[in-house]
Amino acid sequence: MKHFSKLAIATVVAGITAGSAMAQELYTPNLSYRTGPFAATGIPLMNGQADYMAMLNARDGGIGGIKVNFEECETGYSTEKGAECYEKTKDRAIVTQPWSTGITLQVLPKTNIDEIPILAPGYGFSPMMDGKTFQWAFNTPAGYWDAADMIVQYLEGMESLEGKKIAFLHLDHPYGKEPIPLFEQMAEEKGFELVPIPVGLKEMQNQSAQWLQIRRERPDYVVMWGWGAMNAGAITEAVKTKFPMENMIGVWWASHDADLRIVGEDGKGYKAISWSFPNPDAPVMADLKTHVVDTGMTQSNPEEMSGVFYNRGLIISAILAEGIRVAQEHAGKPDISPSDLRWGLENIDMTPERISELGLDGMVPPFKTTCADHTGGSGGWMLEWDGAKFVQVSDHLVPNTEAYAALVSEKAKEYAEANAPWPVNETCEM
Amino acid sequence: MLNEIFIKPFADMVAAPDFLMQVLWEGLVSGILYALIALGFVLIFRSSRIFNFAQGIMVVFAALTLVGLYEMGVPAWICVLLTLGVMFVLAVVIERVVLRPLVGQPDIILFMATIGITLFLIGLGEIIFGGENEVMITEELGIPTGDTVLEPFGGLLILQHLDITVVVVATLLVIALLAFLNYTQMGRAIRALGDDHQAALSVGISLQTVWVLVWFIAGIIALVTGIAWGARAGVSFALEVIAYKALPVLMLGGLESITGAIIGGLMIGILEKLFEIYWGQPLLGGNTETWFAFVLALIVLLFRPQGLFGERIIERV
Repeated sequence: MKHFSKLAIATVVAGITAGSAMAQELYTPNLSYRTGPFAATGIPLMNGQADYMAMLNARDGGIGGIKVNFEECETGYSTEKGAECYEKTKDRAIVTQPWSTGITLQVLPKTNIDEIPILAPGYGFSPMMDGKTFQWAFNTPAGYWDAADMIVQYLEGMESLEGKKIAFLHLDHPYGKEPIPLFEQMAEEKGFELVPIPVGLKEMQNQSAQWLQIRRERPDYVVMWGWGAMNAGAITEAVKTKFPMENMIGVWWASHDADLRIVGEDGKGYKAISWSFPNPDAPVMADLKTHVVDTGMTQSNPEEMSGVFYNRGLIISAILAEGIRVAQEHAGKPDISPSDLRWGLENIDMTPERISELGLDGMVPPFKTTCADHTGGSGGWMLEWDGAKFVQVSDHLVPNTEAYAALVSEKAKEYAEANAPWPVNETCEM
Repeated sequence: MLNEIFIKPFADMVAAPDFLMQVLWEGLVSGILYALIALGFVLIFRSSRIFNFAQGIMVVFAALTLVGLYEMGVPAWICVLLTLGVMFVLAVVIERVVLRPLVGQPDIILFMATIGITLFLIGLGEIIFGGENEVMITEELGIPTGDTVLEPFGGLLILQHLDITVVVVATLLVIALLAFLNYTQMGRAIRALGDDHQAALSVGISLQTVWVLVWFIAGIIALVTGIAWGARAGVSFALEVIAYKALPVLMLGGLESITGAIIGGLMIGILEKLFEIYWGQPLLGGNTETWFAFVLALIVLLFRPQGLFGERIIERV
């Protein structure tokens, strides 16, 4: 009985301690992938995300005085494992970061019931832009259709696309297929021919068949929606088949420095659209050095920290942190709920001044979210590989969202009907 | 539609023979690489009846060890020797720690053990080397990286020196392997174990020695495969996926046949490329390489369940 009483007391104390500990943290789990075939691209992104949150914890004591618990749950980029990670973390989470279009699509219906915001910066289902329909999902600050539009805009800036042929080399996966509806619409409107060329997961490193097709089709441009080993495989094949690199443009997930280092000088001229860019002189980098690098908290290294992907990881966490701050101010308390965070993510106003206050100068374009627009329309820059690193070769490009607003509404409606009953945010004015 | 299936592809081949030659060349290179991976599976299966699920991760582990050692400042060719040493130690450890305690257990237990080896090597590899994409030390190893451009029939045929080297090295490796198996005492011991375990043991062939040897040879094959594939698109854990390409080769050629692995690899490499280019891309939207080899293997299995070169098993009941 004596032992039983001690056990009961210990249980109560542990419960109180755990309860207060849980109340005193912002639990923002990240469904990461540091292992598996896509690890090479996942690691720098995850390191950037983790380092930014570690810096906030060390420099500011967290956000609004509460520490951020940035726990990772390893998915290996597997949709099944991602869904398990979501279930495992959802009870305490104020946000879920699914990190793959497949996982995003899997958990999207669940977040309506669990009422947890999905933060999928630069990925996920493009119609998530429609905040009225996808009230819990955010692909801030830019979606895949923004990327497709900006790439076409950039090409049109050089010459008319009427009568041209564009090969669309993409991963045969929900992510790779995502921009096809918009590309098809634009092909019809602008008079170019679209040739979709899928790459299977097992063929990522041996794309000779795909590049033989490109040689046969003789496209004017190759637009690439690649991920992981597919990007390096495509770029090496492009070099091998002597495709002019300056006519090859990738989405932002095909702008990993390590992929281009494999071909080095031969990759000169390759381009990628991006909503983030490294700026080693930005104040945030000095703070990272002081609070994270010098204290031995980072898992990164100087080479990785200068790359596009690590810096994009920083921006992703900065967007989440800004959403949390806005939510805390609105809720009038630091210990926010997932619903509070949803409000925060719907009211981010990342003006040039705010970007500067956060020390992120030149690293992300300005953007603004609303309850109706969960993307924010940051636009981006065209980057080009100069043989050793990516450099900016365009001014700030802004997507013409009006041109595909109808497609967004149509696909959002289709999705809602296919998953009926699907709750919409009736209070939000479009 | 009939024209698209039966006439147009062949007309295209005749109309652009240089392109057909390029397709055949690319198929040959892929086929040789598939055959190499399949050989690793066959050698181990022949001598131990184990389907080695770890062959794919052995490719990654060997390639990462090579690149990792080079990054530590070791000269390139010394890295190759040291990597071979690592693969030998790995073979000894696997035999000693995993296989020896499981002698006499059902085949499925040994198969599961190789899944365990795979998971262990993934974890160990990630701890030691991390998950980043590494650049293969192609030039440092003296492997040529340029190309030769030919103009057959007034067209264009690009032959990568890397691919030519891969074809030559893989062919030499296969010849050396066949010579070893057919003309050396240890090679005959491996074959004897493959033919009849009990009989081989009764004449004094050491199971332990042979197992270490075949796992080491599989390690050598893994290193060559890792260099060849890694030179194409970098070295990362994504390389593990290519091992799955060997499965239809094994189904087609037979799990026990070295000749089957070689011919099966070449057949699949060339046929899947021809099918993809002339039928898959125009008619099915492409990416048929993902399934074509399996369908081909299944058709063969319908008529020859043991594969093209596998041994027919007749059991008395």
